[in-house]
Amino acid sequence: MPDILTYDFMVRAFIAGLLVALTVPVLGGFLVARRYSLIADSLAHVSLAGVGAGLLFGIAPIAAAVPLTVGGAVLLEWLRQKKRMSGEIGLAILMSSGLAVAVVLANLAHGANVDFSSYLFGSITTTTLNDLWWLALAASGVAAVIGIHYRAYMHIAYDEESARIAGYRVTGLNYLLAAITAVIVVCSLRIVGGLLISALLVMPVVTASTIATSFRQTLVFAVIAATIAVLAGLVISFYAGVAAGGAIVLSALALLVGSFAWRR
Amino acid sequence: MSKGKTSPTFAPPLHANKRLLIDVDNVSVRPQEEHILDAVSLCVHAGEFVGLIGPNGAGKTTLLKAILGILAPKPSGRIAATWHRAGYVPQRGQLYNGLVPMSVLEVVSLGLGRSQAKTDALRALESVGMAPQASMRFTELSGGQQQRVAIAKALAGNADILMLDEPMTGVDERAQAEFYAILRSLQQRGITILMVSHDVDTVLSLVTRVICLNRTILYDGSPEHFDIDTYMPKLYKEQHLRLHHHHEGSKHA
Repeated sequence: MPDILTYDFMVRAFIAGLLVALTVPVLGGFLVARRYSLIADSLAHVSLAGVGAGLLFGIAPIAAAVPLTVGGAVLLEWLRQKKRMSGEIGLAILMSSGLAVAVVLANLAHGANVDFSSYLFGSITTTTLNDLWWLALAASGVAAVIGIHYRAYMHIAYDEESARIAGYRVTGLNYLLAAITAVIVVCSLRIVGGLLISALLVMPVVTASTIATSFRQTLVFAVIAATIAVLAGLVISFYAGVAAGGAIVLSALALLVGSFAWRR
Repeated sequence: MSKGKTSPTFAPPLHANKRLLIDVDNVSVRPQEEHILDAVSLCVHAGEFVGLIGPNGAGKTTLLKAILGILAPKPSGRIAATWHRAGYVPQRGQLYNGLVPMSVLEVVSLGLGRSQAKTDALRALESVGMAPQASMRFTELSGGQQQRVAIAKALAGNADILMLDEPMTGVDERAQAEFYAILRSLQQRGITILMVSHDVDTVLSLVTRVICLNRTILYDGSPEHFDIDTYMPKLYKEQHLRLHHHHEGSKHA
């Protein structure tokens, strides 16, 4: 057995990383197709506010972040559907407000700042068994929702109006997609970090899009690219002693650049 | 029709003994102060090829959306539809241009049940001559080819009525001719067609019935009875004046 796997925290990190790699890019495929790439970034910032609240009030940070982030996702979707505000403006406001609240709350929670930074950038040493259970639950939820509604979400990605005409309950499905994105974003915080999670939603999908010819193929290639990036990033993080999130995203970036170069 | 409006011209009925598919009864749509549609009534019968013409802002797309059930007639009106399955072809600009590739086969399979999706989608692609492109990326096709795929998507699942919204805007003439030939053959196969278009000449040469709309119906009848010299100034006067003013304005600037 390689020495890296003799550490319990690394085994937990690998399991968490694989759960993230198997689910996040699949969601990313549907979000990127609809030009919602920034939604995960905004939600991640809101989730950090939840983490800050959790640290301040002594509640499990993930448990505090889930309802807040789902609320943010539902609010964003509501604004988009009612056309009360341009999508971009809503995202920008939510993103900066979320981070501002997070920083203030984390500062108020004296002594918790070290722990808070692990939610910003991801940390392989701090992933607990409890985090793993949360992530497994969220990943199962994502797999179930996408498995059941795959064709509906693909139709919505193609064109919302024709999906409505085909009889799909587009409004409800959009809220559901926003909510599961929020949950998986929160549960991925520990391993990838709030500031970097959106990269894992977007980069593997863009990498896959350069070579795939169909939607299904794109999702499969994206999962493969994310898995390679996560595994490589965790190994680099372990041996080089750098933040897991940063190493994972840089690995994903290397794959993206490689795919562009290969296509040329 | 509301009081004080010009009475529409109705040519003799073209659809004796045909099954009624769409019955639009006194539909008005008024989101704010101004009517988009004002007391519109019309019927579409099985086997007809209906062309819906009118200037920009005449309410053509709104009427189509109301018929398709994605927009409620407010404040008044009733729409009854008895089709088995309706297919919709949106404007070309609304076709998929997402960042994630979708294959032609995937596009046509949308909205079909899992079990028969591939077979039905391939059959629909064959009917528009696009089966060889089934495994290509949808976005790699030309504008005309994309619209043919959109027809295949609308037809898949045995649609008995096809509704098209300005399908050929921005498409070259050769692709348009191929597209309209497909529509003609579909109508000959018994598929009812309701097509919104700006292109009056093409509509008149193609359809079995023309409906002329400018918030309210000005003409509903056969293309042969449609007097282009009477209706064109009525339809496009406003836009002509607007263009004229714009032109005059730029001359003075």
